[in-house]
Amino acid sequence: MIQLRQMNKKSSRLKYLTNGIILENPTLILMIGLCPTLATSITVRDGLGMAAAASFVIIGSNVVASLLRRLIPATVRIPIFIIIISTFVTLVDYILQAYEPGLYQVLGVFVPLIVVNCIVLGRVEAFAYKHNVLDSMLDGMGKSLGFTLVLFVMGTIREVLGSGTFWGRPVTPAWFRQYPILLMILPPGAFILIGILKALLNKLMKPGS
Amino acid sequence: MSQSKVYMVLSLVVICLISAFALAQVYTLTKAKIEQAKIEAVMNALSQVLPNAISFEEKESSRVWFGYDKNGNKVGIVFQVMPRGYGGPIGTLVGVDSTGKITGLRIASPAEGLKETAGLGLRVREDWFRNQFINKTKNELRLKKDGGTIDAITAATISSRAVTNGVREGLERYKKYWSNDSTSPNE
Repeated sequence: MIQLRQMNKKSSRLKYLTNGIILENPTLILMIGLCPTLATSITVRDGLGMAAAASFVIIGSNVVASLLRRLIPATVRIPIFIIIISTFVTLVDYILQAYEPGLYQVLGVFVPLIVVNCIVLGRVEAFAYKHNVLDSMLDGMGKSLGFTLVLFVMGTIREVLGSGTFWGRPVTPAWFRQYPILLMILPPGAFILIGILKALLNKLMKPGS
Repeated sequence: MSQSKVYMVLSLVVICLISAFALAQVYTLTKAKIEQAKIEAVMNALSQVLPNAISFEEKESSRVWFGYDKNGNKVGIVFQVMPRGYGGPIGTLVGVDSTGKITGLRIASPAEGLKETAGLGLRVREDWFRNQFINKTKNELRLKKDGGTIDAITAATISSRAVTNGVREGLERYKKYWSNDSTSPNE
């Protein structure tokens, strides 16, 4: 019996990690964090840069909030969460400026805006405040993976169709690069693409309908 | 009740202090590196448009730089102009040698604030357009339809003309810097 319970616990632990990838994908299922997804997925490199920065903040805030969860008074938990999150965001800001100035310039205003990325506060409030450190870290990693996956897929499709390149390298014939599908690198293209992805995922998850 | 209020305030104060302390530490650690990265970015841009120079001296803040070769001789200048394009100013860095010939052109990227339309005005960043300016002098710097030698981008005449005229006006405005007369010792 005890063994079974431990087994259950282990598999639910693993679920915290894997849930975020598809079943509770932050962008496509929970539909949060859409703004940075649309804005920074013009190229694969920018998208993954955003994903890395946001992942660091998501995991870091989840761990710290979970560590402090018994000390944080419930009445002021949201301001405290925001302080923790903005500390991590400012760290990312400094580090990117120092070591990846090119990427920092491309991501621009979206780095400071990670503070208000709903994925971060959402996970801290809904998960980390009620779970232990290890589980919170796994949850943060899972949601980060899901966010990264969507940014990678969107970035790949938009860069290949919109610029004819992948990670800055040409992958399509020269004539295509001369006249690529411009819509894909413009904001409407991002909206259309995320709609298509969401529709595909819905179809896959409910095969009967 | 009052105790919990005190605790509420105290917890906020403590967390702010910890956060401020951590950020101060990281700020001191990265400050030098950030400054260096900024200077490197400017130097990279400058040497792109004036390839013969290996060191630069800022003459007018963010507008004019002098370029020197390894012997310390002035080989030309770089100036920045912001002609008004279709969507806003087009940040353009121009390298000029001492005879008034253009040595290179660099146009800011959208990430640096360029607002031209993708696929149209934004094409002023393409190599073929920028390379048309190299080795040209002031009087050649007009669009072909304005009687000069620069091919405009199809359907983006406003942006093409803005850049071309901006470069020409900059050459005129900063003549005292690039022409040899200005190197006289009583400057």
